[in-house]
Amino acid sequence: MTDETLETPLVANRQESFGMRLLRRMEPVLWVMASLSIFVGFWEFAWWRGWANPLLLPPPHIFLANLPDQFRFFDPGGTRAGALATGGSIFSVLGVIAWSSLRVTVGLALGFLLSLAIGIGIRYFRIFGNLVLPLVTMLAPISPVAWLPVAVFIFGIGNPPAIFLVFIAIFFIMTLATLSQIDNVPVHYIQLARIMGCNKRQIYRHVILPAILPELFVTLRMNLFAAWMVVLIAEAVGVGSGLGQVTMMARNTFNASLVFFTMTLIGLTGFAFDQTLRYVQRKVLWWVGPSNVGGL
Amino acid sequence: MTLGLKITNVSKTWNPDGADPVPAVRNLTLDVALGEFVVLLGPSGCGKSSLLYIVAGLEDATEGSVTFDGLEVTEPSPERSLIFQEASLYPWSTVQDNITFGLKIAGQSPKKQEEAAERLLRLVGLVGAGERRPHELSGGMRQRAALARALAMEPKVLLMDEPFAALDVQTRARMQGHLLNIWESSKASVLLVTHSIDEALALADRVVVFTARPGQIKAEIPITAPRPRDMRSPEMIELARQCEALLGEEVEKSFKEQELT
Repeated sequence: MTDETLETPLVANRQESFGMRLLRRMEPVLWVMASLSIFVGFWEFAWWRGWANPLLLPPPHIFLANLPDQFRFFDPGGTRAGALATGGSIFSVLGVIAWSSLRVTVGLALGFLLSLAIGIGIRYFRIFGNLVLPLVTMLAPISPVAWLPVAVFIFGIGNPPAIFLVFIAIFFIMTLATLSQIDNVPVHYIQLARIMGCNKRQIYRHVILPAILPELFVTLRMNLFAAWMVVLIAEAVGVGSGLGQVTMMARNTFNASLVFFTMTLIGLTGFAFDQTLRYVQRKVLWWVGPSNVGGL
Repeated sequence: MTLGLKITNVSKTWNPDGADPVPAVRNLTLDVALGEFVVLLGPSGCGKSSLLYIVAGLEDATEGSVTFDGLEVTEPSPERSLIFQEASLYPWSTVQDNITFGLKIAGQSPKKQEEAAERLLRLVGLVGAGERRPHELSGGMRQRAALARALAMEPKVLLMDEPFAALDVQTRARMQGHLLNIWESSKASVLLVTHSIDEALALADRVVVFTARPGQIKAEIPITAPRPRDMRSPEMIELARQCEALLGEEVEKSFKEQELT
């Protein structure tokens, strides 16, 4: 018996564990791929059997085949009105995505901050709360789509109505979420702060705010998709650029390939957004364990 | 003027104007001298915790008065610190920031806070845990951090609401030892609520046995034996038997009451 015989399996072990680790790392990605493959597989199969008309439901291998041909419909500025466009590159596609993303981001940020401020204000100032809460509760169930004409009346055409709609889509629900979070702060946290000599302002700043932020961030993430849906509608109707405008234009010109290509982009962008928010949440709100973050 | 805590004819009724008022404490008078360790012993739900909250200033008494060093208690104060059954540390702060929370609110300099934290962490045996998060600590460690947080404000009386009830038996015994050491060095009064006879006898200068709800004082038992106490000595066994008999009657009563309703 020499050391060599002992070492060999050790090394092999280590290599195997590295492979295993890689596999474990990749596992979520593999599941995503598998999940997508099933969906794409059915679609391609339907096309191959002739069930899906390629003019109406072109499968991925068709709408992803001629990318430059698709790219030329993307115009970040909205000046060429898409349909008759020439040129266009991957950068113009990224530009269009960036515009839509920007509108969502600004709308979300405004909605989050303002709902937090109003929610805290409602609980902090009694009279303000009595005056504002009924209004918030009554406006909350109105669909953002119903706000669309209002957005155009107030802001005309361009970025502001789209941002406004994203804002509306999350503001009321986030305000109500803020209230319910404030009411659910453990009573001992507040009693303790009172014993330690906190006044009302200090209780809100040092106890209630940090206590409610994690759950509110989760709520924000759950409303992210609603924000995306709304921004597309706004772009289709009142902006003249962005992914929503491309989709609408594709519909009007009966370009099914472009519809599905744009839908793919929307899906990917939304996914990326969710991942980013989750990452931010983990970094900023470190005191919430990863198990409470939820999702993928 | 009397120094220390003076509870005079205090009654507390929850929901007094509602359809179903619940009397928690009735006509209770109790003094706690400076540096005295008093344990309130009673069946669960007998109003001992309510009394503690009134003394802390978190709840108002329906009748009667509570004075501390001659001054009427009207609001919470760091000099009457309350320790809950769960440590209730703020999960978004490190252990150290939790301990110095009151000092920060009081506007002490970061340097002073740092020094206080170091001293307190040593006092409660948590050296090196200052940068940890509350959720990384065991239950006993969390409760020690909560104790350090209260001690940071140099309280004149520590109010403890079943502080060790959530801990396992071994941790509990060690925490009691800890508490006695800290109490002896700080010279604060302690008013501790428990339903454990052993805990009461191990800690108290005076055990106050409560009746079933509404809480009234059933008996007061002074204990003169030096600490640490041998719970198996004939004297302590006799005291335990006495407490058990007193408590047993009250538990019986509250059981009967529950059966009726």
